[in-house]
Amino acid sequence: MDATTAMYVAQGLHGLAYGMILFLVASGLTLIFGMMGILTLAHAAFFMLSAYFSYQVMQMTQNFWLALLIAPVVAGIVGVLCERFLIRRVHVMGHIGELILTVGISLVILDAVKAIWSTDSLYVDIPECLQGLVSIVGMEYPIYRLFIIGLALLVLIFMALILYKTRLGMIVRAAVSDADMVNALGINVPLVFMLVFGVGTWMAGVAGVAIAPILTVFPGLADQMGMDAYIIVVVGGFGSLSGAFLVSIIFGLLSSYGVQFVSQLAPILMFIFMAIVLVIKPVGIFGERE
Amino acid sequence: MLLDVKNLNTYYGDSHVLQDMSLTIAEGEIVALLGRNGMGKTTTMKSIIGLVKPKSGRVIYQGKDFTGREPYQVAKAGIGYVPEERRIFPNLSVLDNLKMGIKAGRAGKVQSKNRWDLDRIYEHFPVLKERSAQKGGTLSGGEQQMLAICRTLMGNPELLLVDEPTEGLSPILVKEVRDMLDDINKAGVPILLVEHNLKVAMSLASRVYLMGKAHLGFSGTVEELDANPEIRAKYLEV
Amino acid sequence: MMNKTTKWILWSVLLVFLIIYPLVFGIYYTNVFVTFAIAALYAVAIQMLLGFTGFLSFGHAMYFGVGAYGTAIALVHIKGLPLIVSVLFGFASALLLALVMAPLVVRLSVTAFAMIHMAFGMLAYTLALKLRNITGGEDGIGAFPIPPLRIPGVFSIDMTDPTNFYYFAMVILGVSIWILWFVTKTPFGCLMVGIRDNANRIDYLGFKLPQTKAVLYLLVGGFAGIAGSIFALFQNLISAMELYIMHSFIQIMQIMVGGIGSFFGPILGAGVFAVLEELTSRYTQRVELVIGLILILVIMYFPTGLIGMYHHFKTRFFTRQAD
Repeated sequence: MDATTAMYVAQGLHGLAYGMILFLVASGLTLIFGMMGILTLAHAAFFMLSAYFSYQVMQMTQNFWLALLIAPVVAGIVGVLCERFLIRRVHVMGHIGELILTVGISLVILDAVKAIWSTDSLYVDIPECLQGLVSIVGMEYPIYRLFIIGLALLVLIFMALILYKTRLGMIVRAAVSDADMVNALGINVPLVFMLVFGVGTWMAGVAGVAIAPILTVFPGLADQMGMDAYIIVVVGGFGSLSGAFLVSIIFGLLSSYGVQFVSQLAPILMFIFMAIVLVIKPVGIFGERE
Repeated sequence: MLLDVKNLNTYYGDSHVLQDMSLTIAEGEIVALLGRNGMGKTTTMKSIIGLVKPKSGRVIYQGKDFTGREPYQVAKAGIGYVPEERRIFPNLSVLDNLKMGIKAGRAGKVQSKNRWDLDRIYEHFPVLKERSAQKGGTLSGGEQQMLAICRTLMGNPELLLVDEPTEGLSPILVKEVRDMLDDINKAGVPILLVEHNLKVAMSLASRVYLMGKAHLGFSGTVEELDANPEIRAKYLEV
Repeated sequence: MMNKTTKWILWSVLLVFLIIYPLVFGIYYTNVFVTFAIAALYAVAIQMLLGFTGFLSFGHAMYFGVGAYGTAIALVHIKGLPLIVSVLFGFASALLLALVMAPLVVRLSVTAFAMIHMAFGMLAYTLALKLRNITGGEDGIGAFPIPPLRIPGVFSIDMTDPTNFYYFAMVILGVSIWILWFVTKTPFGCLMVGIRDNANRIDYLGFKLPQTKAVLYLLVGGFAGIAGSIFALFQNLISAMELYIMHSFIQIMQIMVGGIGSFFGPILGAGVFAVLEELTSRYTQRVELVIGLILILVIMYFPTGLIGMYHHFKTRFFTRQAD
């Protein structure tokens, strides 16, 4: 393989890995925002929080796997508590109430993080077994990026199984179309919403742990990822997992190839893509409802 | 008394859609709630099941107060609700729609000969078995109505609230749904029925409540209503 | 009800207060007040859209920003541009953007409207950040000449003087807010409330709904642009940061804290935020924490905002009297 092709492939892999991380964050948001209709702007804050938790666990145990296990769960629990005691109460007010509340939650989390861990970039090491490069058909790939792709696929499969093979998933799919009816059939819908919120937050948390070694852990992490995740949910179509997946990958590739070819304007590519999609189809690529 | 609804007052925003509404249902009976459109029949049902919260009044079911509770709590206590417009989950299969009606822990409370489960429903309504893999949204209106009732039956309710079950159905299907409700009642489930088809309502119910604008206008037995054309003219005829 | 005399007295008191404010409070608080007044106009404009039509925009910072850049860029490139004309440049740039956007957005549902604005708002932010040779990127455009306010041969007032600028800003912002208030009192304003309460019915009545919305949209965009323009002149600096999405959210929060659906609520909300920022930045490092907690408390316990609280307590007070 010549050098140019190798470069293309390498960039493609970077894009794919970034797209997968985006997808982890965005699919959690698809569950919470797209399916349950809870407008949360705190999603990215939980993503960041989980990255900090992973740093903390790594500090204490030096074990990446333990961090991957614990941090997202703790972030998910914080999310569940927020849903149970705050977000649920303003749901009746509609999106404006949720917007204000979740911005408030984000600000509190952000400042708490700064107070506890300072504003410096914190470094998290890639575990030894995932360091270095692996060569496949004459090409060298960073193992950690491949690991991220695999991890995201695993979470995706896990989520698809829950959604399409379990009673909880069935209830969630029914609640998407008619939550009141599900409630009247004797199913504790508020509890289901809380669980879904927890699972969605957990997924963002997994992404937070996975990205910590690449980007380092810093308060601005939430901004970088949060907006992209929102745009993905909207462009992919509300509540559509496949839409979120497709757009995540497109965004990942756009950003990695964009940096290479039009470096300065790379971030704009995403917005142009989004603007075009939304002007043609305001409900998003796979969206059916608004 | 199985269900005792006392002086419900419900508001939508500023409009007082239910004024001092009261009704009772005893074991085994079918009670019809009649009246013209927009009188508050559906709101009465929604207030009982908890989908709208009444401002004042009481919903007493089996001696326990369920006023203002969440719908799932009321449903778990044994009240089944079949809504107007059926509200089938269109993206779920017929089988999954039925499974949605199952309530954990309720089946055990019902005697096994009266217990509704998938087999018994398929036996009674073979068309649902035929279509079990199909998406709920692809069924015809009559099939959807059947599915909506069966979905609620899967929860083995001890009281059934049925809102406008024959609306928009062909005469043959109307009879089918009527007979279905009759069968369910004969199996021991009391029913509160909102129905605009007077013939169906009168043939099923033993007692009726007539609603005027937002309040109760008349209550009595079917025979009393039958013998009283002025009342019918006042509350029912358009 | 207030009679005419009390009303005039109140307005006169307000006017006198505004006139003597810089003399009493000094330069620092004069500048704080200008910042507040800019936020007030911006919030009032957004409230026109949100409160009177129910349309939530997550990207209005782009109108504020375009207004600011319009003024700044005009002043950089056109020598001897009069002050008022530079403000008009800001207004016109925002209006032009609204004119392009309006056909795209007026037919959308509330959620799609919010999201598309977020998207375009982020596009505007990224463009401002990346098109360095026009916008100056992160550093922005600064230190451009601030022309004096003058009529040749009659007078010339130096606008780099904070007190002079204060009076100039108060007049422009005050007149803008008054124009918007006036609009709500016209039949067009009643129509807007109708759109919020029942979109379909207004359509049945024969009014052209998208067109009505478009007119309002232009108005809101243009006046957000004026707020931006005054901001650029006041700071003598405009950078991409002002287009960041947070600046679209802040207005919504001010509206919410003040009281959604009321015309003067947003001014109150902007005032509360100005005081809060002043106090928190003075006494604590944790500005975000305090604002975050206040947002949570407001939405949980006083979702109708300060105006709503006022009405709540007023009714309670009067009912008690009646007893």
